[in-house]
Amino acid sequence: MPAPPPNRAKHAHRTSRLVNIGIPYLWLGLFFLLPFAIVLQISLAEPALAQPPYTALWQWVDEGLLRIEINLRNFMMVAEDDLYLSALLNSLQVAFICTLLCLLLGYPMAYAIATAPERWRIILLMLIVLPFWTSFLIRVYAWIGILKSNGLLNDLLIWLGLIDTPLAILHTNTAIYIGVVYSYLPFMILPLYANLTRLDLSLLEAAADLGCRPMRAFLRVTLPLSMAGIVAGSMLVFIPVVGEFVIPDLLGGPESLMVGKLLWTEFFSNKDWPLASALAILLLALLVVPFVMMQRLQQRMEGSRP
Amino acid sequence: MATLAERRSLEPWQDPKAVPYLRIDRVTKKFGDVYAVDDVSLDIFQGEFFSLLGSSGCGKSTLLRMLAGLEYPSSGRIYIDGVDVTDVPAYSRPVNMMFQSYALFPHMSVEQNIEFGLKQDRLSRHERGERVGEMLDLLKITELRKRRPDQLSGGQRQRVALARSLAKHPKLLLLDEPLGALDKRLRENTQFELVNLQERLGITFVTVTHDQEEAMTMSTRIAVMDAGQIMQVDTPTAIYEFPTCRLVAEFIGSINLFEGKVVATEGNEVLVETRVGRPMRMRSFHPMVLGTPVTVAVRPEKMRLCADFRDDGVNQLKGRVEDIAYLGDVSIYRIRVGDGALVEMTLTNVQPRTEQALTWEQEVAIEWSPTSGVVLTE
Repeated sequence: MPAPPPNRAKHAHRTSRLVNIGIPYLWLGLFFLLPFAIVLQISLAEPALAQPPYTALWQWVDEGLLRIEINLRNFMMVAEDDLYLSALLNSLQVAFICTLLCLLLGYPMAYAIATAPERWRIILLMLIVLPFWTSFLIRVYAWIGILKSNGLLNDLLIWLGLIDTPLAILHTNTAIYIGVVYSYLPFMILPLYANLTRLDLSLLEAAADLGCRPMRAFLRVTLPLSMAGIVAGSMLVFIPVVGEFVIPDLLGGPESLMVGKLLWTEFFSNKDWPLASALAILLLALLVVPFVMMQRLQQRMEGSRP
Repeated sequence: MATLAERRSLEPWQDPKAVPYLRIDRVTKKFGDVYAVDDVSLDIFQGEFFSLLGSSGCGKSTLLRMLAGLEYPSSGRIYIDGVDVTDVPAYSRPVNMMFQSYALFPHMSVEQNIEFGLKQDRLSRHERGERVGEMLDLLKITELRKRRPDQLSGGQRQRVALARSLAKHPKLLLLDEPLGALDKRLRENTQFELVNLQERLGITFVTVTHDQEEAMTMSTRIAVMDAGQIMQVDTPTAIYEFPTCRLVAEFIGSINLFEGKVVATEGNEVLVETRVGRPMRMRSFHPMVLGTPVTVAVRPEKMRLCADFRDDGVNQLKGRVEDIAYLGDVSIYRIRVGDGALVEMTLTNVQPRTEQALTWEQEVAIEWSPTSGVVLTE
């Protein structure tokens, strides 16, 4: 077949490139940027007893006169009211502690799976993924049965003679930590596992050969080389946990006000959509900063891989 | 002629009083039911360039890994400089290894890679810096010191790996296929460099290779391995000229083998009756019993064209040229003799190929002298 004339080939190439780049951008624009713009617009409106329950951002008043009302009161309210601020801080703190716990628990597990014999790996990975086959909601509900004062855990501890009176775990921050770590652990383990299986074991042998004891070899070789996995896993846990609603709602108590629960209340109970939107925007802004930082770090780590 | 004392310092294995630097004593390594290394004993001396040669899966790498402490023997002992190190873990052995894959740390620069082992020794920053500089100089890679391994070519990586394994000034360096990942031209240059380096530093090298040419050019001695066992340990010359078994004879270079049995002995020569031609007269280093089944082994380059073929000539064969492989410097001729056996002969192309008389289907006579080959009993 003769080659197509260069002009047409160039043209076809440009079209295909445009399509290749265009589709993901279209997707992002449609399903991320547009909803974000809508939420941003609502956050700048005022609540109203109407359908939808907020005022329009702009309206034609007279012939040729456009009135735009930008209402920053929602943001001011969020900033001024301690309730929102403490909920935000509390969410960040819970997410941070949970991410740390997931990392401390998940790293050894991922490491064990990655270094297990081949035939065991599939089974162990299955065990990690298996809980996903049951509804998330039901699994969190199940923890109520375990953690309540006459639940499985307390019964067991009393039977073992470790305690006399049941521990109050349910409806505390501890219950949230347990629930979150349980639910999000796979999201930490899987990227770490993917990273650790790629680790070239001869690097550890080289470290040993050069006089490095196993613990130091881990700290100087394995850990730095798995940083990309640590960052990926931490992002997958931290970001959704900040906005987590179900777990604090079911397992948490009055002391544990998290921003997800607050958003729910503002949207559905108080019907204050603009305030809830402002809160959501602030939350997003708060998350973008660590996200970008971690992304940078990850890119740098990946860049140093062969 | 070198004096005996000189010879002994050059070839310490000839000296019964010499103390080996590395002693491998009846080492066996089993993986499940498989013997990777099967009852191997070896003495390697200070300053040697010792090669473990064999095809893949012969156990040479496992043996090397046991010397490094990366595997532990199932039985047997390993002594380095008189100290039993059999149960000493890799990180405490006075040995360094250059890995086949180089195993450079991808998250560290060249400099940091070389410095890695020195940090484990708790050397001061000043000493470390000096040592790293010395290694960079030695291998001429100073300008690469800030680069990361993924920014280096194969040859450069090899140098960095070598620098890293030499940085701790080991007395014994283990090299696993040190030139395996390099292309042919680079490999040839690096061979000589490696030997020069070894001689200059006076370090004992033990290398593993499947490349017989590489082993021949670099080594003081070679151990040919097969199926976990050592078939022969000797100098490259002895391994090539005087193999002790068929396996070694066939593994190194190409060789013509004639099976037969001893029919007469005269002094240090034997007459061997084979299926090809009249009995062959060969030199033998050991007295042989009449009737012993043996194999006469003669290398192709020891064959020559025979100008005066006689019916009672010694080691003379008639045949027809069947194949010619022209390699530039030499040509390999495959000659069909007697009852159909093929004999290989290599001739140097003294004249351009077009001028040569020898061509396909031509009747030729070839001969070799009784000292040009060996008689193998196994």
